[in-house]
Amino acid sequence: MSLIYSPQEKRIQEEIAHNNVVAFGSSNRPLQILRSIREAKPQIDIERGLYFTQSFRETEGQPLNLRWAKALMHYAKNTTVYIDDNQLLVGRSGKQGRYGILYPELDGNIYGEVLSKISTRSNSPFDISPEEIRIVSEEISPYWVGKTFHENFAKSLTEDTTKLTYNNDAELTSRYIVNETASFRSSLQWVHDYEIVMEKGFRGIKEEAEQRLAELDEYSPIDYTEKKPFLEATILTCDAIVLWANRHADLAEKLAAQETNEKRKAELLKIAENCRYVPENPPRTFYEAMQAQWFTQMFSRIEQKTGTIISNGRMDQYLYPFYKKDIEAGLITDAEVQELFECMWVAMAQFIDLYLSETGGAFNEGYAHWEAVTIGGQTKNGQDATNELTYILLKSKREFPLNYPDLAARVHARSPKRYLYQIAETVKAGEGFPKLLNDEDIIPLLLSKGATFEEAYDYSVSGCAECRMPNRDTYTSPNAYINFAAALEMVIYNGRMKKYGDELLGLETGNFEDFQSFDEILDAYLKQARNFIKHAFIQQHEIIRLRAQHFASPLGSALHKLCRNTYTDLHQPKIEGGIDLGYFEYMGFATVIDSLSAIKKVVFEDQTITLAQLKEALEHNFEGYERIRQLMRNAPAYGNDDPYTDELGKLLDRDGQEFSQKYGNQLGVHMDLRIVPFTSHVPFGKVVSATPNGRYAYIPLSDGSSASQGADRNGPTAILLSNYATKNYDRIEHAGRLINIKLSPSCVKGREGTEKLVQFIEAWRDLKLWHIQFNVLNTETLREAQKHPEQYRNLLVRIAGYSAYFTELTKDLQDDLISRTEHEAV
Amino acid sequence: MISFREQSMKPYNRREKSQTDLVFNIQHYSLHDGSGIRTIIFLKGCPLRCRWCCNPESQNPNRELFYSADKCIGQRECAQCALICSESAISFAEDSSKASISFSSCSNCLRCAMGCPSKALTIQGESYSVAELADLVERDSIFFQSGNGGLTVSGGEPLSHIDFLEALLAETQDRYIDTAIETCGCAPYESLRRAAEHLDQILFDIKSMDSQKHKEYTGQGNEQIVENFLRLCEEFPDLPKKVRTPVIPGFNDTAEEIDAIRKFLQGKPRVTYEPLRYHSFGRGKYAALGRTYPMGDASLSEERFREIIDAGG
Repeated sequence: MSLIYSPQEKRIQEEIAHNNVVAFGSSNRPLQILRSIREAKPQIDIERGLYFTQSFRETEGQPLNLRWAKALMHYAKNTTVYIDDNQLLVGRSGKQGRYGILYPELDGNIYGEVLSKISTRSNSPFDISPEEIRIVSEEISPYWVGKTFHENFAKSLTEDTTKLTYNNDAELTSRYIVNETASFRSSLQWVHDYEIVMEKGFRGIKEEAEQRLAELDEYSPIDYTEKKPFLEATILTCDAIVLWANRHADLAEKLAAQETNEKRKAELLKIAENCRYVPENPPRTFYEAMQAQWFTQMFSRIEQKTGTIISNGRMDQYLYPFYKKDIEAGLITDAEVQELFECMWVAMAQFIDLYLSETGGAFNEGYAHWEAVTIGGQTKNGQDATNELTYILLKSKREFPLNYPDLAARVHARSPKRYLYQIAETVKAGEGFPKLLNDEDIIPLLLSKGATFEEAYDYSVSGCAECRMPNRDTYTSPNAYINFAAALEMVIYNGRMKKYGDELLGLETGNFEDFQSFDEILDAYLKQARNFIKHAFIQQHEIIRLRAQHFASPLGSALHKLCRNTYTDLHQPKIEGGIDLGYFEYMGFATVIDSLSAIKKVVFEDQTITLAQLKEALEHNFEGYERIRQLMRNAPAYGNDDPYTDELGKLLDRDGQEFSQKYGNQLGVHMDLRIVPFTSHVPFGKVVSATPNGRYAYIPLSDGSSASQGADRNGPTAILLSNYATKNYDRIEHAGRLINIKLSPSCVKGREGTEKLVQFIEAWRDLKLWHIQFNVLNTETLREAQKHPEQYRNLLVRIAGYSAYFTELTKDLQDDLISRTEHEAV
Repeated sequence: MISFREQSMKPYNRREKSQTDLVFNIQHYSLHDGSGIRTIIFLKGCPLRCRWCCNPESQNPNRELFYSADKCIGQRECAQCALICSESAISFAEDSSKASISFSSCSNCLRCAMGCPSKALTIQGESYSVAELADLVERDSIFFQSGNGGLTVSGGEPLSHIDFLEALLAETQDRYIDTAIETCGCAPYESLRRAAEHLDQILFDIKSMDSQKHKEYTGQGNEQIVENFLRLCEEFPDLPKKVRTPVIPGFNDTAEEIDAIRKFLQGKPRVTYEPLRYHSFGRGKYAALGRTYPMGDASLSEERFREIIDAGG
């Protein structure tokens, strides 16, 4: 199936093709490193899994946070440390080249079996030696049987919830209906408070913990059972990361002694000096600050599997004081700053978000990861925050368009023109990066959840389209992705789905043919949908409870003010003073809206066909029923600024939020409706048979809050307006919405194109929409559109004085346009 | 030139808002037809018959049938249209599964299009009132804010619909939305003047300074167009005017032609000039209307186009 890919999807495609980079223009060093890693197949590094397992065998019965800290220390002492040729930043959590690591506490029980299958596969996506497979199968995997979160969570569910969650197989593969994501990552996407690393270093954090330890009341049972292990875990973790850094210093000194190239020798000695000093102490220079941050995020990756990898926070803010000081002192140039950033990006590109389970892999196909770097936005006191580093980060994205990091630009009403123009220029040059997040939507929402202005102004983008307030957010439980197109299918088949045969999965809402009005159908849909959300919340209830027994995060907790002050691990269900922002994902938003509106229009208003006829056509996947399919797909569709559909969309959004307000809050947290899925609309589509909007069986659902593929025929302004019209701005039980906009190169050509892109961004900002990212189409996409016109009905071709849908042009004209586009793209 | 204040105070008959006209396309997010992001309304009907016209459905002032064969799902699945047609103008060849339309027998009743599930048969020309269009344009107004975007009325020839156009422009300006028209200039000057009083900018086509050739390729000489442009410059010196010339193979694809237009424009107030390269993207639309594309296989390469437009001043 061919689609127009968003930058993120494109990234995945490129990752799959092992061809994720086109680089030019910037410093030679990151480029050389890049070339050295490109060719080789990614490897699985087993050290993290092995040392954690060894340590866990030794610490059974002890408090979990302490066990985790001991495992980190065991790892820091024993793991292989590396220094890459040419690199200025050091710290890897695995072998040289591209690598992924193992987190057996999640689903290590299946590793042995999965790896034995992989080793025999002819075209394995990664390398692992037979000896390593033996170690995994004999030393790692067996220990975790019966202990993993995945197994224990599955056991906790009742039959009603289970049948919407898992297939009835040994690996507990997903049904992609009410899909939990807690089994393949131990935390939500997260951002640390990197500022404390800059201000105090791990020595400062350790000293605070030591002081508190000394002050404990030795007779207090709480102090003894709760505070003491927390503080000991903090101290041990600080020691572990410092030890790990010092082992790099040792290696750098050793390599320097052997190095014959004087320049590299000096670099290695500098690296050694950096690693002796940070992250133990607060950095003194920009270079040290970068190294301290990198050690912190790499050690965090060793600690646990965080969402789609730990994000970088507001790099242009917490690094700025070091930049300013070094520039003023003449210690560093902008070019050197950019080189250090790119050394970090190319190190990031080597880490692979490895999933061995089928479901995890389906969510993050191609091992894509999103360690967002946030730029711009507002300072803690509400002033515009852009500075020279903001512009260097944008420049780096233009000149070194690697997929990493995921650059996220915060935009607000007083963002300077220069910033907006440079964003637009970067979108044009950087394959769609950066993505944009809107302070004008996000900050009021964070305030409504109880944040202070200072906290809300200082949010960081985290992963795809999430936001975190470091030191205030405390909810780490991964959440459910709910397939609402499946709820719709259950209205048609009375609680069943074609994919799963006669099994009753949802509610029996009645025979589809017997509904007498559209309102009855809508009512049935809402019942099925609420039932799904109910089971998602049941899952969540168990996830919140069980995670505390399976995971701990002494590093994440040490970097969180509320955890430190309450002596509570970040994975505990309740952290005093925190704001708990959970969510549930609304999958197939446009698929559902379009299907309902097509039924309303064609069956009940125009009365062109009956429900029985529609059902018959759906059962046959429209084969032999093309007339019905055409009628349905030509009905009003979401994404066209059409109140007919948008009022329906708003109602669905509202119903979900109202349900959440009532029942999500019973869990003691916010359970916000979110419309973000990045690539998961593909696997979720694979279980949903033909839908009344004319979508064929088992092809992708609509993506995020975008229109159904090919259904938006009024251009990008209408997509924004439909998003606006379907939002319930008076409710607070919602989170992000993801919008992908496709633009043809002619739309952004030249200075005028940049200007009009800025105007579009400003309108998006003023509409108070959450997120947007752009995809500037290339000739390849146009060729795809030639081959698969069905998916590209909406592709507008704009030439002065003329505008047409690409797929309606004849082949030779399309060819002409492709050649023109090639010309324009130069 | 009447100031904005005077314009907005000038009374116009409110009933005019209910008058209707035929629109064949409404295009949102237009980036190349005036300042900023614009919404374009295409009115149906044009006095010229330019051979290269890329929107042939714009020419006829009445509703007409438009057939996109590639969307037809064929006799086996549907054939609804052939049953509906009372003139037997729609048939399905035995070897072909798609409908074939005999436009010469078509009575233009358009009932087939209303019954077509796949929108292979559509009606070009939908009736809108001034108020409806102004409402639609205003829905997009948030996109107009930062770049002086707004409404562009195109065609067809908008000046051929001057009563409707005047009411639409006035209504739009009353809503503080920037207005433009895209015109071929072929209309009585009075129409141009009435429109210009409600315009913030104008896109004006000048195709050739050679009237004979102009007549041969568009059906009309250029005298009225040239005269209109001169009077417009005289009476509306402050109105920004973008003059455009489609560079058409065999018609005006020489440096001399383009140079002549540039010379003509010299010294005129608030004029910018943009030659546009010929394209044949409208070709498929001729077939859809049962007509033959007058330009055949003519083409103009990017290189040749650059040569022509770079040669002159």
